[in-house]
Amino acid sequence: MAPPLLLLLLALPLAGALLVFALPQGDATRVRTAAALTAGAQLLFTLLCWRLPPADLHLAWVPKLGLELELGLDGLSLPLQLLVALLSTMAILAAPANQSRPRLFFALLLATNLGVSGAFLARNALLFVLAFELVLIPTTLLVAIWGGERRAGAAIRFLVYGSVSGLSLLAAVLALGWFNANGFGFGFDQLAAADLSPTAQGWILALLLLGFGLKLPIVPLHGWQPFTYAQAPTPVVMLLGGAVSKLGAYGLLRFAVGFLPDAWAAWSPWIAIAGAVSAVYGALNAIAQSDIRRLMAYSSLGHMGLLVLALAAATPMSLQGAVAQILAHGLIVALLFACVGLIERKTGTTAIPELSGLLNPLRGLPFTLGMLLLALMAAAGIPGLAAFPAELLVFEGSWTVFPKATLVSLIASGFTAVYAVRLFNRVGFGRLDNGRAHWPATGWSERAPALVLTLLVIAAGLWPTALTGWSGSATAALALRSQPLLSPSAPTVAIVPELLPS
Amino acid sequence: MTTPIAAVANCPSAPLIPPSQHPWAEVIHRLEAGGSMLPDTPENLMQIIGIYKAYAVPMDFYWRDLLYIAEQVFLDPLPAFKYFPSQEYLERPNAYAGEQSKLRLWRGGEQAHPELLAFMARGETTAMPKLLHHLWHDRINMEFAEACAQAMLWHQAMGGRFNDYLESEAYRANADRAIKAYFRRNPLMLGLYQAFPEMFLEKVKQLSYYANLGLFWEVMAPVFFEMSDIYDEGGFQGVPDAMNFLVKGIFAVAGRPIYHHVFIDGECIEIIPKAEGFTWLYEAALPYVEAVFYRTSPFRGTKSYNAQAGQVPSHQADFHYGILYADVYPVGSAGIPPTLLMQDMVHFLPPYLKELYKQHRRGEQDQLIQLGITFQRSMYNVTSAVIQALRAALLYPLDDTDPEHLLANRRFFEGQMDRFLRPEARLGAIQNQDYR
Repeated sequence: MAPPLLLLLLALPLAGALLVFALPQGDATRVRTAAALTAGAQLLFTLLCWRLPPADLHLAWVPKLGLELELGLDGLSLPLQLLVALLSTMAILAAPANQSRPRLFFALLLATNLGVSGAFLARNALLFVLAFELVLIPTTLLVAIWGGERRAGAAIRFLVYGSVSGLSLLAAVLALGWFNANGFGFGFDQLAAADLSPTAQGWILALLLLGFGLKLPIVPLHGWQPFTYAQAPTPVVMLLGGAVSKLGAYGLLRFAVGFLPDAWAAWSPWIAIAGAVSAVYGALNAIAQSDIRRLMAYSSLGHMGLLVLALAAATPMSLQGAVAQILAHGLIVALLFACVGLIERKTGTTAIPELSGLLNPLRGLPFTLGMLLLALMAAAGIPGLAAFPAELLVFEGSWTVFPKATLVSLIASGFTAVYAVRLFNRVGFGRLDNGRAHWPATGWSERAPALVLTLLVIAAGLWPTALTGWSGSATAALALRSQPLLSPSAPTVAIVPELLPS
Repeated sequence: MTTPIAAVANCPSAPLIPPSQHPWAEVIHRLEAGGSMLPDTPENLMQIIGIYKAYAVPMDFYWRDLLYIAEQVFLDPLPAFKYFPSQEYLERPNAYAGEQSKLRLWRGGEQAHPELLAFMARGETTAMPKLLHHLWHDRINMEFAEACAQAMLWHQAMGGRFNDYLESEAYRANADRAIKAYFRRNPLMLGLYQAFPEMFLEKVKQLSYYANLGLFWEVMAPVFFEMSDIYDEGGFQGVPDAMNFLVKGIFAVAGRPIYHHVFIDGECIEIIPKAEGFTWLYEAALPYVEAVFYRTSPFRGTKSYNAQAGQVPSHQADFHYGILYADVYPVGSAGIPPTLLMQDMVHFLPPYLKELYKQHRRGEQDQLIQLGITFQRSMYNVTSAVIQALRAALLYPLDDTDPEHLLANRRFFEGQMDRFLRPEARLGAIQNQDYR
């Protein structure tokens, strides 16, 4: 039997969480360093897994229930595992040096990492559900204990929405396993070959849409998101927006597109409409917000709409674009919240009307605002930055299938520039209020997480293969539709090259 | 801080007039008690004296170069080297410093200040030809001084007879003589002068204000140097002392002639002769304070002004972009280009001010802003001196026992304070020591 190397990807955050919890009380910096080293080690090991792919792991756990310890990395899960390891490291480093109750805080962050990593690595649907549910506990606690003034309400709402999401997912997975005419089981391979009646497929897809739509989220299942994003502490919201919400996208791609292709194809026009509505709704609401965190939340909602559109189209290019969008948006939203966290830490507020002149070179936060500007430009899809190749693939891949929904989403994407410019104009320019500008400058250690993310956003824009190369073959295998208007020779070449060994 | 109310309460006799009901009553009472608009605190005293010193060194360059431009460069159509005053002007004896001066305001030497010369030689970088210093912008920012002179020209009627004289036939004739003499070997420029005489005349008027401001600052630089020396010797006991020194200085030099002479091929042409009787107080100091401290003009910066939307007053007298109103953050939103002067002053800060700035806000990182706010405080003190000097010249002593006279003084002070009722005024901010 091959050594269970993949288990190390889960053992690291688990051991790290236990380790930081065992550290002496009081030294927040030491606890943060230990947690960051743990997440960093996981990142390094994931990179190692990319270069030297380990064998899949299959261990019996509770066979009677169909629960097996099946772990694997493929073109879909590897980039997402890299993303969660990276964002966990950056989120831990983005926490303040004097973080209150540091042992519990960083242990819960690592537990979140454990849950998300487990979900991405799982090759068994029940195991996926377990990991998916595990995420809800630490994230709820993080919001409830370290959140803003209205953290209790935010945590309760997050918990309720998350519970509904988890229950519907559990129901869907159980139905997938139980109603499979080819036999009982929850392994991905079994589910991919499942024989389900069209009615069962429809019901299961509805449950999956509810479960993953709540996690993503998508209109009208987004009620928790603006509230939670506004109240959660910065490292938590970096993880929530950058990695945890991507579980929804990954789940739709893996379960709905992968296991229920017929139902997905039948329902996809409505799903595409939901995506377009989310894109427009998110963008318009972002324009109207007076708080940066809420603006970011609605911006994220809008971008998730694009993602759903791409999944609905399910062409090779759109699915490749969807994975690229997951990665690009994960980096960008984490960068946005890292910058917002710095602004909030220094100025004490994220209320747009209370902020102005932060670009002031002597008393403002020009470096942070510079990174925020780049992040906003990236979110707006400016060429040369991470979101551009992803959105290009999404729009080009979806256009042939759902031209109207794509056009609407394209227009909604244009609104991103509106709220980005509006936000930056109000916060960056204008007069810095001397009565408020008492804060010290940001130090390099504080800037480091955002700076790393900034460099990655630029690098991914200049080298789009870093976003698209992982998933070419995996998404091509999942595609439900061909790309009729594209010549087989030219554009499809762009989606074929992959960095991964098989 | 000695508040006027407390002063009145300590007075053995009852006050002769009731307290002011003006929104700035506290400041008015302080002025009536012989104080300054700036609260009397040891730190305020240290700040304003320190910044006077830092201001006086570049000012020593400003006045010399302004006179060099007005008298020597004159109408040079390509004045690329106007910021390179000749050695003669750098060595020109200050009329109010050194052994040769008839009225010695500063005990120091009459030539350019040693710190100024040292900075001109090395700048912030290293010793290199002055052209390289200039191109690298490692130099004194004469653009600031020019902006002040141009503000005085643009706002024009601000008291005194100087501006009226610029419209007179006598001035036109003198300017015409100077222009023709200057271009007598340049038929092209003479032809242009024939075609556009008003353009040339306007340029000469501007240069007359250069001379005006140069002569004004020739006085102020030694005044500030002397104040710095007195402070270093422990001479000033509070902000009112510093203000009263300025008041006395204003009266001592009030009659200093203001003129504009041009030197062309060794010949002196008097565009504004001393015989016209223009004086330092009425034709230079008061217009300068009005134009530069109060009015100036909105500068383009990160804040945009829309004149069509009424964001810029339609009457020049309502302009309020001077240092008394300025946002000193270097965004160019108000005031004389604050960054330029702040950049000039930062080279000459006394050690005690540097130490003070290190202790607050971002320390050395934002000392440009901190010194800009110090400069704002110090200019409120200078303006207080001007207000007290005007009161002394036009109205009654502060210790007058006639209530009618005191009420007249009260009305005068309240009228002055009315100008600080607009929200942009920083008078309220400087009452707070934490405004930095």
